[in-house]
Amino acid sequence: MSTLSQVHPMSRLSTGKVALFIILVSESVFFATLLVAYAALRDQSNWPMDHSLQRLTFPLINTAILILSSIPARNAIINIRAGKQTLSLTSMVVTLIVGLVFVAGQIYEFSHAGFHINDQAFGGVFFTLMGFHALHVFAGEVFLILNLTRTKLGDFSPQNYEAVELGTWFWYYVVGVWLVLFAALYLI
Amino acid sequence: MTTQAQAKLKTEPYALGDFLSWIMTVDHKRIGILYLITAFFFFLFGGIEAFLMRLQLAQPGNKVLSPDLYNQVFTMHGTTMIFLAVMPLAAGFGNYLVPLMIGARDMAFPKLNALSYWTYLFAGCFMYSSFFLGGAPNDGWFSYAPLTENLYSPTHGMDFWIMGILLLGFATTIGSINFIVTIIQLRAPGMTLTRMPAFVWAQFVTAFLAVFSIPSLTTAVLLLLLDRQMGAHFFNVAQGGSALLWQHLFWFFGHPEVYILILPAMGIVSEVIPVFSGKPLFAYAAVVYAMIAIGFLGFTVWAHHMFATGMPTTTLLFFAGDTFLISAPTGVLFFSWLATIWKGQLRFTTPMLFSLGFATMFLIGGLDGVHLAVVPMDWQLTDTYYVVSHIHYVLFGGAIFGIFSGIYYWFPKMAGRRLGETLGKWHFWFFFIGMNLVFMPMHILGLEGMPRRIYTYASGRGWEIWNLVETIGAGVIAIGVLIFIVNFFISISKKATNEEDAWDGFTLEWKTSSPPPAYNFAEIPSVRSRRPLWDEKHPDLADWKMEK
Repeated sequence: MSTLSQVHPMSRLSTGKVALFIILVSESVFFATLLVAYAALRDQSNWPMDHSLQRLTFPLINTAILILSSIPARNAIINIRAGKQTLSLTSMVVTLIVGLVFVAGQIYEFSHAGFHINDQAFGGVFFTLMGFHALHVFAGEVFLILNLTRTKLGDFSPQNYEAVELGTWFWYYVVGVWLVLFAALYLI
Repeated sequence: MTTQAQAKLKTEPYALGDFLSWIMTVDHKRIGILYLITAFFFFLFGGIEAFLMRLQLAQPGNKVLSPDLYNQVFTMHGTTMIFLAVMPLAAGFGNYLVPLMIGARDMAFPKLNALSYWTYLFAGCFMYSSFFLGGAPNDGWFSYAPLTENLYSPTHGMDFWIMGILLLGFATTIGSINFIVTIIQLRAPGMTLTRMPAFVWAQFVTAFLAVFSIPSLTTAVLLLLLDRQMGAHFFNVAQGGSALLWQHLFWFFGHPEVYILILPAMGIVSEVIPVFSGKPLFAYAAVVYAMIAIGFLGFTVWAHHMFATGMPTTTLLFFAGDTFLISAPTGVLFFSWLATIWKGQLRFTTPMLFSLGFATMFLIGGLDGVHLAVVPMDWQLTDTYYVVSHIHYVLFGGAIFGIFSGIYYWFPKMAGRRLGETLGKWHFWFFFIGMNLVFMPMHILGLEGMPRRIYTYASGRGWEIWNLVETIGAGVIAIGVLIFIVNFFISISKKATNEEDAWDGFTLEWKTSSPPPAYNFAEIPSVRSRRPLWDEKHPDLADWKMEK
């Protein structure tokens, strides 16, 4: 898509990157307000999550899985820049699969949380924060699938691969948000 | 303009009856016009609701509306005017004008632009369908929890409201991202940020306000939806929730929202006053900085809507002081307009009248705002008609006057013919007198303690006369609206004159034909100052020659 990477006379920035940046800023305000709601409600209901290592083992493993998925996400850019389309494609597939493993882990975590969304305010806070993060993981997966398809169709070249970059950046963002949520919900 | 482009112009844009091309359009000008027309219809709906309320309140003990219907009507009046009328009217001008003013061929993402419009239209129809599907939302436009919880609002009205707000938030967010990206990326050569028209700056700041504030509203309504539909307890104090949480989340959006509504109108006025004063905008840089300052400060004052909730004194003082602070940049805008008018060659056309009306009425509304920022006074006046008066001086006397100024000013560009000046002036005076008849007595009623949102009142409190005057004023405004509609149809039935530059304007939209071709400019203009068209018309006095 030439329109996305087109550089305009009065601006040296790329249109796609400016747009993604503003979307992510807006998303961040959304998560920030959810976290504010969490902070406001936390003292008002008995917070049931225990911070023992036994409880934390599984979420920690899942966190590690999501962090690791950013490596193949990055390789997708490096490979397409080097003209290695097949390797780039493989990197995206790996990211996609690791992301799905994370989601499966989240579903396991949800079903073993020991409480529901309608259990006092904390139930709502926990599942809302986690749920909206999971939705963003799905959005990242959709972005990856689009990029995968376009790589297969030969849309990208070492000169023109901006959508791959945007997809990866969005993936980084999903990982970053998870780290904040993990710290807020499990560690603090 | 080349003859080729002119030939294309005759065949291409705005062929009536070609509905499909309007539905499929991704042209920013057509989307802008769709926004304006749709929003005007919602403005009429909101106006009819206001008129029904005024009829109900004309005398004590009236039975025009039932109490339940009255609640639905005032909720939908507020929701309609804010989300379905004023915001999209401003978005319509933004869509039409921003690309033209910065010398671009279209918005950065034309399809996203169309998606934004159609989402808005759907959300509006969706919300209004609730009247026929078990009752409209009835908890007021700020929908305080826990009143909005299932227990107290068992109909689906609130669910319609929540889903509608989510859709509108989505539409506004993608629209705003589109504005920001367009303004950053698509400016014509030479159109630096410091040369952008004030209206474009206003839209730019507005778009940032929307992108930063709407997520807070999204969070609030999502949590409410989870409470209502999934049994969560965010706003249920008994289960560890918080009722105040709603107010904080809502007003963190709600106050920037006020500036989302008013800044585009300020931008319009900052275009109209210079042209009809024959002078450049006084202290352009100060105006731009003031708009940015209003944008920043707008995020720091939300709790002044919550003075009566029992906050700590230091919090009260902070939010009161901060609210006073906003008067400073607003004052900068005022003095800039005054200094622009000063010793200008004034032309009192209809757009100019509406802009001057904006300035005076908004000033009254702003001063009311200062009164309400004084905490003890707010404790006395909160939830009375004083607050209703304040918001209407700001949003009717302000935003709506600014928007009508824009409609009269840019109509020749959009339609290729002017709106009638005589009827236009009648429209202005009916609006100006009508609004003061409606909203000035509300100050008195507020001071006398008449609460807002009551559907009737007992006689003998001294409220009858003012309520009657207000209802008469509402009729005067309604006549003004009818005059506008008549004027519109008379003007549109006349032969098009297609003047390029109807008002001897300064900015790039007057450089192309009226209405402009789909591609806006046959040749992308290059810009050397803040008044590119003035430079072209007066090469000896060009602005860029005066600058160092």
